[in-house]
Amino acid sequence: MNHAYLTIFYRLILRPLSRESVRTALTTAAVALGVAVVLAIELAGEAAAGSFRSSVETLAGRGDFEVTATGGVPAEALTRLALLPYALRLRPRIEDYAVVAATNRVVPFIGVDMLADGAHNAEDTGSSEFQRGDFIRVGKEAGWKTGDRVRLIVNDESAEYTVRGIVDGAGDAIVTDLAPAARLLGRGTMLDRILVDVPASRPLEQWEAILRAALPDGLTLAPQGARTEENRRMLGAFRWNLRVLSYIALVVGAFLIYNTISVSVVRRREEIGIMRALGATRVGVLGAFLLEAACLGLAGGIAGVALGRLMATASVRLVAATVESLYVSSTPAPIALSWGVALAGIAIGVLVSVVSAAAPAWEASRVAPVEAMARGRRDHDVRMHQWRDLGCGAALALAAWWASRQPAAGGKPLFGYLAGLLMIGASALAIPSLVSVVARATGAAAGRIFGVEALLASRSLAGSLRRTAVLVGALSTAIAMLSAVGIMVGSFRQTVLLWMEDRLQADLYLRPAGAPGTDRHPTIAADLAARLEAIPEVAAIDQFRAYEISYEGMPATLGGGDARIAGRYGRRAFLSGARPAEVFAQLAGHDRVIVSEAFANKHAVKRGDTLQLALGGRRAGFRVIDVYGDYSNERGYIIMDRGTLLKYLPDPAPSNVAVYLRPGTTLEDGRRAVETALAGRKVMIFTNRSLREEAIRVFDRTFAITYALEAVAVFVAVMGVAGALLALVIDRRREFGLLRFLGGSTGQIRRIILFEAGLLGLLANIAGVVLGFWLSLLLIFVINRQSFGWTIQFHWPVAVLVSALSMVYAATVLAALYPSQVAAKLVPIEVIHED
Amino acid sequence: MPLLRFNRVSKSYASMPALTEVSLDVERGEFVALVGRSGCGKSTLLNVAGAMDFPTSGEVVLDGVVTSSLGEAALTLVRREKVGFIFQSFQLLASLSVVENVELPLLLARRRRARETALDSLSEVEMQGFAARLPYQLSGGEMQRVAIARALVHAPALLLADEPTGNLDSATGDAILQLLRRIADRRQTTILMATHSAEAAGMTDTVVRLRDGRVQDGGPA
Repeated sequence: MNHAYLTIFYRLILRPLSRESVRTALTTAAVALGVAVVLAIELAGEAAAGSFRSSVETLAGRGDFEVTATGGVPAEALTRLALLPYALRLRPRIEDYAVVAATNRVVPFIGVDMLADGAHNAEDTGSSEFQRGDFIRVGKEAGWKTGDRVRLIVNDESAEYTVRGIVDGAGDAIVTDLAPAARLLGRGTMLDRILVDVPASRPLEQWEAILRAALPDGLTLAPQGARTEENRRMLGAFRWNLRVLSYIALVVGAFLIYNTISVSVVRRREEIGIMRALGATRVGVLGAFLLEAACLGLAGGIAGVALGRLMATASVRLVAATVESLYVSSTPAPIALSWGVALAGIAIGVLVSVVSAAAPAWEASRVAPVEAMARGRRDHDVRMHQWRDLGCGAALALAAWWASRQPAAGGKPLFGYLAGLLMIGASALAIPSLVSVVARATGAAAGRIFGVEALLASRSLAGSLRRTAVLVGALSTAIAMLSAVGIMVGSFRQTVLLWMEDRLQADLYLRPAGAPGTDRHPTIAADLAARLEAIPEVAAIDQFRAYEISYEGMPATLGGGDARIAGRYGRRAFLSGARPAEVFAQLAGHDRVIVSEAFANKHAVKRGDTLQLALGGRRAGFRVIDVYGDYSNERGYIIMDRGTLLKYLPDPAPSNVAVYLRPGTTLEDGRRAVETALAGRKVMIFTNRSLREEAIRVFDRTFAITYALEAVAVFVAVMGVAGALLALVIDRRREFGLLRFLGGSTGQIRRIILFEAGLLGLLANIAGVVLGFWLSLLLIFVINRQSFGWTIQFHWPVAVLVSALSMVYAATVLAALYPSQVAAKLVPIEVIHED
Repeated sequence: MPLLRFNRVSKSYASMPALTEVSLDVERGEFVALVGRSGCGKSTLLNVAGAMDFPTSGEVVLDGVVTSSLGEAALTLVRREKVGFIFQSFQLLASLSVVENVELPLLLARRRRARETALDSLSEVEMQGFAARLPYQLSGGEMQRVAIARALVHAPALLLADEPTGNLDSATGDAILQLLRRIADRRQTTILMATHSAEAAGMTDTVVRLRDGRVQDGGPA
């Protein structure tokens, strides 16, 4: 583009943009918010999801292999490896978690061989001291210094420890020697992991074969960090869905760019014609409008990156809380905004803007020289295409139906997302007809009821069909996502409430103190169970022990509960429809398991299949006798009878205990008796009701980020409405001037704009709720099921929807206040004589 | 008492004088042409007369009401009751049908029987058969007839026409001028028309010549 073109571009495109600075700022802000949300979710997701490896894995350093086993690696394995005639570096480790009593923060608690690991530094007072159980070393990020006294809760015991050194690269972890760690955590001679570094003299495949041959059966040998990779894979679906939700604000922003450039083209049609007559080429015109969009995208992208960085800080805690609740223990890592990510954010802003502007820019390039078509005619043309658009919309809806029937691709609901996009497209194409029908049907009635202002507002919307359709499309897409996510979350919540109603039958639930975590299973001392059983008020207890396992390269939870008790009290719903008592009777004392629906869907496991599990140094097959509904975590459960579990993993300490009180015993009496029995132990007691409340609190916190994302999308759309109404005021200033000449008051002019906003909001709400309903079905029955494996019962969260939609409606009308003020302040004799 | 009296009215925009010490009386039913070069103050005089603009100094009395001392809300009421406007570029709302355009002043004033009155007004300009059409479906002359029907629909005492034939060919322009003449004669509506055209001025009762914002002379056409 030469200098002359740049001059023309400045005069005809940039200068008008700067004259309408508020509207330009609103459009830029819409792009900025879209980019910011995408960037924030990416950065926050990376910080939250990437951090689970930090403390444990950073301390481990780079290594070749790791040996693990469900229930622990026997010390004998270490001996066998040590006896091999090779220069192997072996680093045995015990890895668990402790709770900092003062803050309730959960931190990794790691036992290492101080000499083998080299986890000491100049501040150390000598490794022999670390044989003492009350001496610990800590990572720098823990925030303590040498000499501090720290109270920690490990499993159900609380004790004071003295910080005797700071360890580099250990994050916020607590580090101690193997022997005291084993004592504290009750590991006996079991280790959690042996890290193996091999010489470079052979290929890794050969070393793997050598090591495997040396190890007892039932132990898992894998490249170091395999568990971290499993966690990353498991988090993949979560992050994908979050990412897709974050794109909604960008899609809404794209609608608004389309609208801005469309307005620009319609308004300058005559100018374009004149420019063409004066020698401008089609390509030149196309380029000018694309460049206008690129400028808006660039400004929005740059602002979006800065805003995204701030939003990431705000959202990382929400994302981390979800990761912690549903997936894996994690402490958010610092947010890292690299140049690459920042440039990608800006590029997204520019790309989305240019793509959104392509259609109106192309239309501009088709304007014939000296064309001066009246705007009424242009909008008439749009009306003429309504049937064609409706037909295309129907075709897209059919394609969406087809896509929604397709299975997941590579474990991701890609066709589900495609179906969602097609639905949004179908809705956008149907909107001109909706606007036309509703505006015309309600125009006369609105005029009769609300006066001439309502009539003029409805006629104006129907008359500017193209612009109205785009605006309604943008706002309705945001409302649809809000409704769809609202219905999905509401349905999920209701399903979880019903599930808890069935599942939680005991009167009291006990678990070790500290925040719960999906992958952490601290235990209660085994002797406590006997004490509980001896309480006269207690009818029965169900001890449940959980272990983290890896199944087919994905993390899962293995649990053991008392099948007899579950059979007697449980009302767990099985997918086969079998009665719980029958299923638990089959489970008791046999190598059989039941699995959760999430596990079954994730691993394509069904009733009658046999799972091969490595437990306690042995490999055994367990037949799946049924699948049950479960919503407590996404990784999925394999449950066996406690007797069977103890046969393979003979540690009797339970992770949690359900207590059933005798009939006639009050909850207060029962709780008091249990508290007395637990005296001195750090065990939390939940009543049935408080456990449900806690679960719902975690549920609501988990979906807070989802609502936040939708709120931003709606905010972007409402901002777009404000910008578009401002454009409308500028475009129709002569009309408003005329109304003043014809006896209209400034109040009436204001009311026309407010009625238009109200009508836009109404149309967007109608279209949004209809689209939202279909999208919610897609979310519940396709995307959610393919991503997480959960079956959710459909439920209308009426109160939530009504209040959310009312707020959006109110915001839309409020967004019109400023444009209405601008319209009222127009000087009629100036605008009417502009010709 | 004349329907419209300008008593030493001046109007300036950012210290640029548009009207200077204009004094003028227009009687009921009088058809007055305002003539003069572009920028001589014709449109400003019409705007001040029609209670669309405030004079910088002097007094404007319309049908016994001193409009120059009224506030915004009261001026709106004066326009609704007493003034009708016709523009060179017709100024019909594209999204409204012909009859809807015509009934607009009545709806803005919350008058009853708006549709019937609008249809009557269309009949008066011989456009009753075009009631349901949209403006873009009309010719220039037809649009201006609709604009006249709209200006008359609330039976104003004063009709202000700013170059009503400026966008029309001469034959159509003549027809429009004859229509305005008929209106002045039959309805006794006072018409103040700004025009460049000597032929148009020839159809009126009185011609007022403006030069640089001052009345040069006024007298029978």
